[in-house]
Amino acid sequence: MKIIKSKGPEIFDIELEKDILAKNRNLAKENKKRFDRSNILAIDIMGSIGSGKTSLIKAILKKLGMGKKVAVIAGDLTTTIDAERIEIEGARVIQVNTGKECHLDANLIRQAMDGMKLDGVKLLFIENVGNLICPGEFPLGAHKRIVVVSVTEGPYMIVKHPYIFREADMIVLNKIDLAKAMKVDPYQLERDAKKINPQVPFIKTNALNGTGISKIINALGLKT
Amino acid sequence: MHEFSISSEIVKNVLDAAEKNNGEKVLSVQLEIGELTLLNIEQVIFWIHELFKGSAAEGAEVKVKTIKARIHCKVCGYKGGIRFNQEDSFRHLCLQNCPRCNSFQIKVDKGRECVLRRIQVVK
Repeated sequence: MKIIKSKGPEIFDIELEKDILAKNRNLAKENKKRFDRSNILAIDIMGSIGSGKTSLIKAILKKLGMGKKVAVIAGDLTTTIDAERIEIEGARVIQVNTGKECHLDANLIRQAMDGMKLDGVKLLFIENVGNLICPGEFPLGAHKRIVVVSVTEGPYMIVKHPYIFREADMIVLNKIDLAKAMKVDPYQLERDAKKINPQVPFIKTNALNGTGISKIINALGLKT
Repeated sequence: MHEFSISSEIVKNVLDAAEKNNGEKVLSVQLEIGELTLLNIEQVIFWIHELFKGSAAEGAEVKVKTIKARIHCKVCGYKGGIRFNQEDSFRHLCLQNCPRCNSFQIKVDKGRECVLRRIQVVK
């Protein structure tokens, strides 16, 4: 007996070889080219929740007095609190709300730039979402990455997160006035940082009263 | 911590590729994730399954291969793998130093990838 079998479904392999993280890295490179074309120095500010990223940006803006020549992209999950605090200092501000995301990515920065008037802007601060883990994996295209850590986060922050501190172009130790009360040795934190990243400028600040802010400005080569 | 966004991106790529190739159903997805990424593989698989629901890829098998880390040391010139503490699977995130000279000044050559390698579809 001849049996005719119905032809079963055909199964195919589709080779994709797509690096999902590479997409962000490539977009970051494009952002950097765009900053360079417009002669904008872009600085990504990362750090834990409450480390003082917004206060630091405010203090730098106050000292620089560059008004609308400075733009700030403020990243946060849902609120506009940071953007409002920065706007008082006279800079152009755009708020990027990530919703569920724990970090900014290069695509969000691209969109923010599209929605911003950048003519005359010389300096751009990008305030990342408060987090020491995820932003390390998502470069944005900034020329420099600053990590802000505060003494109130305890003595082990740098040892615990070498990943992000190794990538940093500058480490800022904030709330230095509280070191004694927190029983944290700022010099130990500095040694921890230099062990991972020996050349990194390590600057101690109190963003609320302006201590150390000039050192940041000088180290970044910004004019006051 | 960013497993959701990465998984969404993977799912989008899988469904796009299936549609482009006239795939009716996606049977399996093969990923390669570097051991130095900050991705929790279990969570990635969980989110992919969740995001596949109601699509042509619902119920597809998700296979993940780990890509071993390779570094080079800027101090002593060592090239190769890194040392892991067997007792603590997360310690490699803290202890990325050179296994030969213990310097922390290393550059990662491999292990930070998240590659969608291939999918299997029924046409």
